[in-house]
Amino acid sequence: MMPEIRAPDIRPIEEFLLHEAHLLDDRRFEEWMELFTPDGYYWAPASLDQPDPLNSVSLIYDDRAAMETRIRRLRHPRIHSQTPPSRTARLVANAVIEAAEPDGSACVVRSKFIIYEYRPSIPEALERVFGGTYRHRLVAAPQGFRIAWKKAILANCDARLGAFAIYF
Amino acid sequence: MSRESIPIASLVQQDRVHRRVFEDPAVFDLEMERIFGRAFLYVGHESEVPAPGDFVTRYLGRNPVILCRHQDGTINVLHNRCGHRGALVCNEARGHVRRFRCPYHGWSFETNGALHAIPARAGYGAGFDLGAPEFGMMRVPRLAQYRGFVFASLAAEGEAFALPAMMRRCIDTVIERAPDGAIELAGGVHRYEFRGNWKAQVENILDHYHPAFSHESTAGGDGRQFRRSAGEDEGTPIYDDAGGVSGWDRAEIVAFPAGHGLQGPMPGADKPKGGALYERYRAALLARHAPERVAEILGNEWFHNAVFYPNMFIQLRALFVRVVRPIAVDHTEVCVYPIRLKGAPDEMFHSQIRFLNLTHAAGSLIQTDDMEMFRRVQAGLASEGAEWVVLGRGLDAERPEQDGRRAPGTSELSMRAQYAAWKRYMAE
Repeated sequence: MMPEIRAPDIRPIEEFLLHEAHLLDDRRFEEWMELFTPDGYYWAPASLDQPDPLNSVSLIYDDRAAMETRIRRLRHPRIHSQTPPSRTARLVANAVIEAAEPDGSACVVRSKFIIYEYRPSIPEALERVFGGTYRHRLVAAPQGFRIAWKKAILANCDARLGAFAIYF
Repeated sequence: MSRESIPIASLVQQDRVHRRVFEDPAVFDLEMERIFGRAFLYVGHESEVPAPGDFVTRYLGRNPVILCRHQDGTINVLHNRCGHRGALVCNEARGHVRRFRCPYHGWSFETNGALHAIPARAGYGAGFDLGAPEFGMMRVPRLAQYRGFVFASLAAEGEAFALPAMMRRCIDTVIERAPDGAIELAGGVHRYEFRGNWKAQVENILDHYHPAFSHESTAGGDGRQFRRSAGEDEGTPIYDDAGGVSGWDRAEIVAFPAGHGLQGPMPGADKPKGGALYERYRAALLARHAPERVAEILGNEWFHNAVFYPNMFIQLRALFVRVVRPIAVDHTEVCVYPIRLKGAPDEMFHSQIRFLNLTHAAGSLIQTDDMEMFRRVQAGLASEGAEWVVLGRGLDAERPEQDGRRAPGTSELSMRAQYAAWKRYMAE
């Protein structure tokens, strides 16, 4: 009998990515962090060809401890660079499964993102757009998917950037 | 306002500077001419161009330049401009060439700037001496190096390159920490920008009055900052105000008439360090030096931050070089380059990189709030409600130190020295 070849179903994965995007837009950072496995990490490289996050600097390279620190600061009443806070609206699309474990335990998903950011300020508000490619490694867990790692590759990751306090 | 009407001398007093120094575009134009057009500016480190033909592109004031290593191994700083019609020759941040070639009409240049060849040369009449330097890529007239740090002046004449002995010792101290006795800038770059004046960043380097307030959001309930490296058992205390005297005052500042300055040691710098990684690092040093010398090197955290006026800064503990580039009166770019100690364990560099991501990236936990303050200073100084920016903190506590002055860590001594130097550059 021919072996059955069945591609993983993209729809629940897309729903997960949209859920993740909503959590960030809604500033539900703690719930967002819980989407990661305990040893999961978030990486926004500082160049398109950066081979690893260890030997050169990144825009963000957070393990769980760094995420907790960053999010605790985002909740601090005197975080001046977020007084008042940024508002974001993000679109995530073009999701495709790049690789999947044969037993369905994990996969790597590639998608595109565009994030509109607005922060009221004097003398004028900050308005900008970030765009780029996401790669998520998702693992199956009893409560649904969990993120083993997320890589956010900004199209302008090697540009000079103004201060930012959001996760992409 | 025209340049002739800028009363430079009256804009800087001993304990204050006028708001125009930060917000007047005519003052900025004059700075580009009289400070950035004259002073020895930091360009880069020779480790960024290790092989002949390697180059990086930089700015000196408003001048696009190329730092490159010529085929004979020497370091050159060239204007990034074709000798023909003026086009930018290199449009990349870094690269490697046999020769530079202008994309417009194909003129090519040696890596020391000399014109190599032009297409259809016969089309130029006898009146053109294509061997004249002006048809090449012009070299920045004066170069100086100190132990791999490359400085250049856009002015053909002027004061010779000179760093006070204490400033040279800052660089020596960084290099001696490398087991191989050499450093390299090889960890990428944090590149950030803000809508503020370049001097806001320069002032901030030796401002230890601000951390407790600007960076309050990085402290937990115990008043300590997040742990800065894996080996650290607790974070730096952000606020210590026993009896109205800040603990940061113990990290004293020394500043010099040319605007240079440094601060340190930080409280706790003499605390014994340990851990498996630290022991491997110590072993690497012991393989090169006698135990007494190693103890001296490791105990020698005598400075924390150093300002090489006007555009370069070094931090010893976190090991990085920072460079400021003024773009406009209210727009500034800053680059932060990690320093790799050659011969030290790789994991030490990894830890250093992770720390710099949290502290100095455009999206870091520290630098974001500094940038917000630089921006707010620029926005606030649009107000005509008051004329002066006050820099008088610790004026009475100043005392002579070598050829400079010394004052408590939260004093505004370094800013006063910077503006005294600024005034001398600008006045004539």
